[in-house]
Amino acid sequence: MIELSDVSYSYEGTAALRNVSLRIEKGESVALMGMNGSGKSTLLKLINGILFPDSGVYRFCGEEITHKKMQDPLFSKRFHQRIGFVFQNADTQLFCADVYDEIAFGPRQMGLEESETEKRVEDCLSLLSIEALRHRQPYHLSGGEKRKVAIASVLALNPEVLVFDEPLVGLDPRAQRWFVSFLMKLHAAGKTLIVSTHNLEMVQEIAGRAILFDENHTIAADRPAESLLEDVDLLIQTNLVDEYYHHHPGAGHQHFHIHPF
Amino acid sequence: MPEWLLKEEQYEPLSDRDSFLDKSILSLLGILSRIRAQSGIRTGKYAVHAAFKVACTFLLIVLLSLSKNLFFILTVNVALLAAISLLSADKILRILKAGFVAALFTLVILLPSAFWGNRYGIVMIPLKVFAAVSAVNILSRTTEWRDVTGALKSFFLPDIFIFVLDITIRYIFMLGEFSLPLLYALRLRSVGKNNRKYASLSGVAGTMFIKSKEMAEEMNAAMECRGFTGDYRKSSRIRMNWTDSGYLLIHMLLLLLFLYLG
Repeated sequence: MIELSDVSYSYEGTAALRNVSLRIEKGESVALMGMNGSGKSTLLKLINGILFPDSGVYRFCGEEITHKKMQDPLFSKRFHQRIGFVFQNADTQLFCADVYDEIAFGPRQMGLEESETEKRVEDCLSLLSIEALRHRQPYHLSGGEKRKVAIASVLALNPEVLVFDEPLVGLDPRAQRWFVSFLMKLHAAGKTLIVSTHNLEMVQEIAGRAILFDENHTIAADRPAESLLEDVDLLIQTNLVDEYYHHHPGAGHQHFHIHPF
Repeated sequence: MPEWLLKEEQYEPLSDRDSFLDKSILSLLGILSRIRAQSGIRTGKYAVHAAFKVACTFLLIVLLSLSKNLFFILTVNVALLAAISLLSADKILRILKAGFVAALFTLVILLPSAFWGNRYGIVMIPLKVFAAVSAVNILSRTTEWRDVTGALKSFFLPDIFIFVLDITIRYIFMLGEFSLPLLYALRLRSVGKNNRKYASLSGVAGTMFIKSKEMAEEMNAAMECRGFTGDYRKSSRIRMNWTDSGYLLIHMLLLLLFLYLG
């Protein structure tokens, strides 16, 4: 479904991705891991057609995605309907007057009947347990609520692929737990998931496959999530876990710790 | 899971005219990349102190406005072209383009007066405009904005004025960075025909307004916590080096030429 061959991208001379090749099949759940600045967010922007490779080829369902092709409004709109992107900062994704309009924005654009739009909005509100926010203004919501509204606004388009950029950042532990279960439901419903994260516990639960980026902006490993999470040396090498001394009641000891974010 | 979410969407979009979104994104990207490109222009051939650059650019514009001597104006233009030639290719292109467009526009405006015998103005004024626009562009493309605002201290402007200017410029950049993903999000979710395009854009503007208000309030609180009482002091120590001396010498020569030729 998604295929990148030898893709490189740089921001004004600073490399963000180097010779990245990967293939994601329909229905897969893939976690992108790596330290800050390793190129995960850039890759997600490329996958969503916001940025375009300096070199290499990106194909979505066999079609090459280029700047020229994305200038064709019909192609670009169909592409964006099929692949939904939930940004890291929900604040930058909400621009409507209230939560209902925010979720209804996509279905209305798609020209759905108002009754069908209403059904989608109500379904999304209930799926994300935010019925009470229906008439609230998005900018007055808490961080977790904003994130849920942002997800609902993308979900209402019913995309085949859902891309999440650091979805757990800024969420309290309960919201994080809820979110992991929600992703599992989406995956079970047949959606293709691409999630960038530092949270190894989440990777273990939601992803069948994990792709690890190193500080050279290349793919250090692309394996089943379970196998990658067991490779402690590689995780240390790529700064995703570290070892430090700490004290439990009883005795002090040293072991590996996950960087939460 | 609702049933519609389990099915594959059979959707064919209708065409709509919404290239304004791409244009907004491109223009915003242009501004942001221009501000970003300013970092690292304090060394080498750009190392002249900003206070000298601001003062000399101001002096040059005043001299150009007062001068009635074609030789002086040509000399200034030649000096500026020589300065431009020291810059990188993309900067040369942008500075020359801005200068030529301004000069051409002035020429077109003045053309009717040429028919009434104003041969002097039609040559002198476009040349003056070209030189003035180029001088300002050289300043803006070779000096970081924070250095320009810092240089104002040397001209005895109140610190609080410099502070407000500094913060304003910083906020333009930060809000620009913030609004870019908003426009991206709008584009990504604009998957069909939008009959209320301007309502969507006003939503973006509204969100920006609220964000800027929140940021301003947070900054105010943070400044109070750091003991800010309204008194802002900025250091204005200037250490002359050889580049500064050479730069000042050239402008002194231009000033002498102006005094000599008038």
